[in-house]
Amino acid sequence: MDVAKFRDMFLAEAAEHLESMVDILVQLDLDQEDQDGIDALFREAHSIKGMAATMEHAETTKLAHHLEDRLDSCRQLGRISGVEIDWFLAATDLLELLLDDVRNQQEERSVASFIATSPKEPVSAINPDSKEDKGNLSLGKQGQLICLQLQASVAAPGPRFLVLLKKLAELGTIIESTPSTEDLLQGDAPNQLILRLESDIPQEQIYQQLQQYSELQAITFPDEAEKKPQQKRSIDKTVRISTELLDHFINLTGELITNRYQLQNALKTHDWQGLNDGVGQMAQLVKNLHHQVLKVRMVSLEGLTGRLSRTVHDLSRSLGKEIKLQVDGAEIELDRAIVEELADPLVHMVRNAVDHGIEQNGTVSVKAWRERDQVLIQVADDGRGIDPEKIRQQALDQGLLSSDQAKTIRDYDLFQLICQPGFSTAEEVSETSGRGVGMDVVKTAVEQVGGILLIDSTPGEGSRITLKVPLSLAIIRVLIVECDGTRMAMPISRVVQTAEISPEEVQSSGKQLMINYQGERLPLLSLRKILKLPQGPPPNPIPLVITEVMGRKIGLVVDQLMRQQEVYVQRLPAPFDQIRGCSGGTILGDGQIILLLDLQSLFERRRDKEKIA
Amino acid sequence: MSKKVIIVDDALFMRTMLRDIFESADWQVVAEAEDGGQAIAGYKKHRPDLVTMDIVMPEMGGIDALKRILAEDPSATIVVCSALGQKNLIMDAVNAGAKDFIVKPFQRAQVLEVVERVTTAS
Repeated sequence: MDVAKFRDMFLAEAAEHLESMVDILVQLDLDQEDQDGIDALFREAHSIKGMAATMEHAETTKLAHHLEDRLDSCRQLGRISGVEIDWFLAATDLLELLLDDVRNQQEERSVASFIATSPKEPVSAINPDSKEDKGNLSLGKQGQLICLQLQASVAAPGPRFLVLLKKLAELGTIIESTPSTEDLLQGDAPNQLILRLESDIPQEQIYQQLQQYSELQAITFPDEAEKKPQQKRSIDKTVRISTELLDHFINLTGELITNRYQLQNALKTHDWQGLNDGVGQMAQLVKNLHHQVLKVRMVSLEGLTGRLSRTVHDLSRSLGKEIKLQVDGAEIELDRAIVEELADPLVHMVRNAVDHGIEQNGTVSVKAWRERDQVLIQVADDGRGIDPEKIRQQALDQGLLSSDQAKTIRDYDLFQLICQPGFSTAEEVSETSGRGVGMDVVKTAVEQVGGILLIDSTPGEGSRITLKVPLSLAIIRVLIVECDGTRMAMPISRVVQTAEISPEEVQSSGKQLMINYQGERLPLLSLRKILKLPQGPPPNPIPLVITEVMGRKIGLVVDQLMRQQEVYVQRLPAPFDQIRGCSGGTILGDGQIILLLDLQSLFERRRDKEKIA
Repeated sequence: MSKKVIIVDDALFMRTMLRDIFESADWQVVAEAEDGGQAIAGYKKHRPDLVTMDIVMPEMGGIDALKRILAEDPSATIVVCSALGQKNLIMDAVNAGAKDFIVKPFQRAQVLEVVERVTTAS
């Protein structure tokens, strides 16, 4: 068959598979028994083999096939060794060269000599009888994990751990420890010591020996399984920092130390002016430090947008459309966690635009820009746009709207219905339905990072989906409100506006209280009521937070609007993280702890309750 | 038979306090030493079950004395006694072979706990 015209597609797709093979291999190196990883690797090799065979690239097929075989035995064994990982990585390099050959329309290079270097089959795969030996060996080799924690009051933790390490060394062989003896001698003094001890002495006796040390707060013998995921998590969360930035940190820290001496001196000599100057200086330094630390977490959107061009290219090719991608503002930087969270949603939106937004020829544009401490990311197409009538009809059919609601609902709210789970998947044939593919997922992801999603569309001119997200997850600007004597915060990104209205402006519509706000009728909800707090005296004027929940604007009545402030939000530790309606906490300058309201989940909880009732 | 200890400290006050604690726990204080040199001589003479060793002393300090005693008798049980702020010294002493350490100011129970665990055979 004439495969030449598929060459580009094959090359692009094979490169994608190769890229993920490398990613998976690197991950596997951290956890060599990750079944899902080995399975995924197998699938990647399998895909490459299939494609290469179809394209009749014999050598590529041969190598991919061999990889597949090898991975199959890894799968059965349940693990992959470090040597094998290295070899597989070398294999991906060779595959890349083979793809180059195909790209340059040269004859493929031979893979036979490389396959000959394939590491020997692991012993236990060939000889299952040796299992028992292996069991003993690995147990003996691994030893027992011991985790020791010191009382907070222990005066010299470093030497204390050293004494304990030496004591344990008398009971067996210490294979490894964190911190190590060297670390301790260097002056490391953590309050936890984890070590692996190989010993013939039963665990109980080791425990008894350790119990003689009243300095120890906890002695545990964790299972391997418990330790592993922890290790993995900590590795997953590493970041790269430029040395320039690190130097900056060191300079700042140095200045802070100087500043401390200044302050101590001023305090000693009762030099109030000096104290005042010192505190001013410290404020500057801390602000600077905060700024720099934030920078560490910032990454540009380029990593995301780079992938998009391939998505558009491949998809429009396979759909037989001619679609250009235009990217603006990829240099905008955002908190790493947010960028990661938005990676899939962005691909989703672009795919939707290519698949359903544009009929034949057109442009999908992805634009990012900053507005104060928020970043806006917009995916727009110049296709036919969304027909509100079709959505109205489908919402009626699916029972999402009553016929009365269908008449009065504004287009803006109508578009938000696209984000309802299952809105479109029910009926693939409908022209509009395709728009909604995964939009609920997109919306959830955006709200997860404290942002909002806006949709607007003009029939015949195209659609725009805009994501408004905070710059950073850790330090955000919040609005502090008071309710029944308790202060609470909500992310400013979720606040449309604050207002104070007089009681005369409140209208009632059935049971629901409403107000007219800039020409819109908004339902009024009381935060006291939502939080089940006692009703207070009616405030006058009524402080109001206009916010958006599940695509609808509402007016939230609070006791008092306090102020806006930048805060460092911390996750609540377990079990408090289970509290719904609260996404974290922060400590104010005066030492008071306030909770961050998560309006979305608060209302979800409310809605769940109503459903039950 | 009660166990034997040598108390090494340049401060009379500390020696007296330690002696009191040991004697109350039925230990026999076979010697007191004011510096490292005296400690080594005392050790050679009495071969005690335990030495409590101050680190900072005039003439020969505790860490040197500790090393010398251990060179003489590798099975010697020596516990160092030091004030905080001398953390690195404690670390050095433990690294040099002290079985355990007591941070000054100490309490009777602490001293006895440490003494108990280093002198009971494991």
